[in-house]
Amino acid sequence: MQNLSELMHRLISSQVEFVLVGGFAAVAHGVTQVTLDVDICCRFSEANLMRIQKAFADLHPVHRSRPDLPLELTPEQCASLKNLHLKTDLGIVDCLGEVLGVGNFEAVLKHSVEVELPYGKCRILDIDALIRAKEAMNRDHDKITVKYLKAIKKQQGQN
Amino acid sequence: MSEKRNKTEMVLKEASPAYCVSADGDIDLSLLRDSLAKTPWERMQANDDALNFAESLRTAMEKRHAKS
Repeated sequence: MQNLSELMHRLISSQVEFVLVGGFAAVAHGVTQVTLDVDICCRFSEANLMRIQKAFADLHPVHRSRPDLPLELTPEQCASLKNLHLKTDLGIVDCLGEVLGVGNFEAVLKHSVEVELPYGKCRILDIDALIRAKEAMNRDHDKITVKYLKAIKKQQGQN
Repeated sequence: MSEKRNKTEMVLKEASPAYCVSADGDIDLSLLRDSLAKTPWERMQANDDALNFAESLRTAMEKRHAKS
């Protein structure tokens, strides 16, 4: 059972410093493509990474590239990590230190908007930065997402 | 033949007045408008529903293949 919304809930409730980016951010903006994972850009400080670990602790989190390795971060690991690709019982979460086409966490934060969810506020990459990020990735499905995002901008401009 | 097709298109158009595609034909704008009428939270939940529905369909197909 996938529950990406619950993963978001946990990140917010655990006070993880993050910005929602990627396909789920596109969904939040209104894109009708279905996405399989949650991509976040977050501060890669030890405190923040430990909050992520705590948020998913009961969901059997493992490293996506090494499913035999449970998520058991040490301060040494935290200092060297650039990205963290996780698989949990509720779905996949990719934690990124920077976003191609936008920049590091501070740049991503600067280009984010705040949205109110039922359990708290969340920051989402703004539509222009998301278009830049998707254009930079330039995979086939990113190109389609860019078309949707540009259509959304046009629709919103008409309202 | 062409007259028949025109008639069908007219009926479809009347039956679904909201159906509309973007200029390049890649995007169903009526679906997009429905999505934009939702809150970000509702859109996220719709994504989860679609994911889980797809998963249940996949499981059903696997069971069907296993039987045959």
